[in-house]
Amino acid sequence: MTPKPFMGGLKIPHYKSFTEHASITVIPAPEQLVIPLRQHIGAPCNSLVKVGDAVTTGQKIGDSDAFVSAPVHASLSGRVTAVEMRPSHSGQDVPSVVIDVDDAQQPWCPSAPETRDLTKDGIIAAVKEAGIVGMGGAGFPTAVKLQPPADKPVDTVLLNGCECEPYLTCDHRVMVEMPEQILKGAAYIRQALGAETVLICVEDNKPDAVEALRQRNTDQSTRIVTVPTKYPQGAEKQLIKAVLGREVPPQLLPFAVGVVVQNVGTAVAVCEAVDQGKPLVERVVTVTGDNIADPKNLRVPVGTLLSHVIEQCGGLIKTPAKVIVGGPMTGVAQKSLSVPVTKAVTGITVLNPATAVTNGEYTHCVRCGRCVDGCPMLLYPNQISVFCEANLVERARQWNTMDCIECGICAYVCPSNRPIIRFVQDMKPRIQAAQRP
Amino acid sequence: MKADAELVVSSAPHLRDNRTVGRAMRDVFLALMPVTAVSLYFFRWNALFLISVCLITAVFTEILFRRMMKKEPTLHDWSAVLTGLFVAMLFPATTPWWKAALAVFIGIGLAKELAGGLGRNRFNPALFGLVALMLLSPLVAFLDEQFASLYVSFGTVDVLTQATPLAMLHQGMEMPSYTSLLTAFPGGALGETSPLFLFIGAAYLFYRGHLNWRIPASILLTVAALTAVLGQNPIEHLLVGSLPLGAFFMATDWVTSPFTNKGKVIFGVCIGIGVVIFRLGLAPTEGVAYSILIMNGFVPMIERWTLRPQFGQNRQTMARSVEP
Repeated sequence: MTPKPFMGGLKIPHYKSFTEHASITVIPAPEQLVIPLRQHIGAPCNSLVKVGDAVTTGQKIGDSDAFVSAPVHASLSGRVTAVEMRPSHSGQDVPSVVIDVDDAQQPWCPSAPETRDLTKDGIIAAVKEAGIVGMGGAGFPTAVKLQPPADKPVDTVLLNGCECEPYLTCDHRVMVEMPEQILKGAAYIRQALGAETVLICVEDNKPDAVEALRQRNTDQSTRIVTVPTKYPQGAEKQLIKAVLGREVPPQLLPFAVGVVVQNVGTAVAVCEAVDQGKPLVERVVTVTGDNIADPKNLRVPVGTLLSHVIEQCGGLIKTPAKVIVGGPMTGVAQKSLSVPVTKAVTGITVLNPATAVTNGEYTHCVRCGRCVDGCPMLLYPNQISVFCEANLVERARQWNTMDCIECGICAYVCPSNRPIIRFVQDMKPRIQAAQRP
Repeated sequence: MKADAELVVSSAPHLRDNRTVGRAMRDVFLALMPVTAVSLYFFRWNALFLISVCLITAVFTEILFRRMMKKEPTLHDWSAVLTGLFVAMLFPATTPWWKAALAVFIGIGLAKELAGGLGRNRFNPALFGLVALMLLSPLVAFLDEQFASLYVSFGTVDVLTQATPLAMLHQGMEMPSYTSLLTAFPGGALGETSPLFLFIGAAYLFYRGHLNWRIPASILLTVAALTAVLGQNPIEHLLVGSLPLGAFFMATDWVTSPFTNKGKVIFGVCIGIGVVIFRLGLAPTEGVAYSILIMNGFVPMIERWTLRPQFGQNRQTMARSVEP
């Protein structure tokens, strides 16, 4: 079974050389943490702490009774100084717990190995308790993904190590440096789902990661698959199509075709949660770009402000700068560095505005069809952009605007410089509003 | 929250490739340079004068209409000068300047700018200008009479006194060799001078990624197949008249051709059929311009027929209810 490329997509220069061989390093603890009570898709958590409380590393500080949610924990020990709305990297204000970090840090102590529960329910409970969410960027609660509907049995788990987004290398480094944890976490995920096979999918531009995983893999039911380097290979539906030949129908989840996709970083978190009871309080973040003095892959406590992380990398070379949370294709440009790193932040890409595009003038669609050729969802971005621009909500819905995955290819190739992704992002809530009774 | 003045904010994606409409149009302009050079070689000052008239008219028409409609001028996207050059390519070197200028004026002013500007025009501006002149032949005759004394000529051109290859084909005359048909057999419009040099330009466009092969391939194959079936010499048909120019440069215009791949094939096949009907049925009219222009009008319909199902949706369940 050789992966066949999905339709559409594009070869994009990947600019990974800034950090692809930089080992993961730990940064000094920040003085303050801002931990959002919603770092995931789903219901926000309620704060379990109040101002003045002392918190220890790994202590649960927010939880929710909702099924689709994930608890949050204190990443470092300290004292709660505020529970209030704070800006997040998505641009919205989110209820957050602000912690002044102690100078003397007690390290987090793992639970004893004999308390491990390797039953299906035990694994799911450990994942839920650890607050694990999809670490590839989407932030969907992992425990929910481990509980498929009864009528949709899962036979295959795909571990996503494609990292197709330009510049980012956090998954790459995790695969090179922590292959054992990935393989172990993969096995736990497979057991929790009762699946037969795990396929770890890596783009063929990361041979060292493939090699590291293959060398350590002893599990018969796990295989490492290389997939062609093509953007957006790491998009869930495109990856399933390429590796398994299965197409997830519009509006449905991978459950519909018996598949669950998890990021490789998530597998590491699952491994640590099940083996040691460790909550998700830190993650690997790539700090990269042509406008950061010292690009690095860093292990960052959740809640650390971007300003602290950027300081640890020597700061910005030139100002003004464009600071993007995530990669350059799908990431969000920040208007302030006082927003925290969350569980789903894969990278911080710092670009010189002279090399990065800013939203300039755009003209009519000239119908060249490049976006049509590139669209991995096989939509018609040209038509969608025209209807979104004219605010024709019903037309935009008919042309399947809601199925756009916002990969950015259409806007990347558009010779008329049309901000198609912005149009789509503005239109989606309007379509949803129009569909409500 | 206060925005940090040192940070630049814009929407994703934050990368773009370097292709722009202006660059593409400039590439098409460059791709026409080989055949332009050949036409200048054969027709000398007459050709230079005709091309100059078209380019200057193009620039002024564009400025005039953009001003009238209170829009920023868009000369930098090269589309106006390109239309000017296309019109020049569609006329013989001795064409009176008012005729060429009128075609450019109608093409850019009416077919493009009044339709809403580049991208909103349904018809190829240059072909629209050319065909409009045919429809307005009484007006052209009137202008010919009025402006006769203003006719500018740089001497007779020997090669223009011979019959065009297309006319020779129609009249069943003995045809020149394939080699001379391919390389250069001047006699008709500037852009018909040399298929070989058009192919060189087309190869450049293909190399630069601007040319989708589906439209020219389906036009040329259709013409070749139909003429062969009808007992004609397909190679001669492919090399004469404005078919090479039309197939590679005019039918492939982004704005006025279908954006679906299947649609491009249907579009090309229909143009090919049209060309053969005009050439064999309605002789001696040149059918390329008419065929492309007619099919331009059918583009929205063709696109609607040929939409692909979206990802994860098979053909049976595909919603066909979308309006263009």
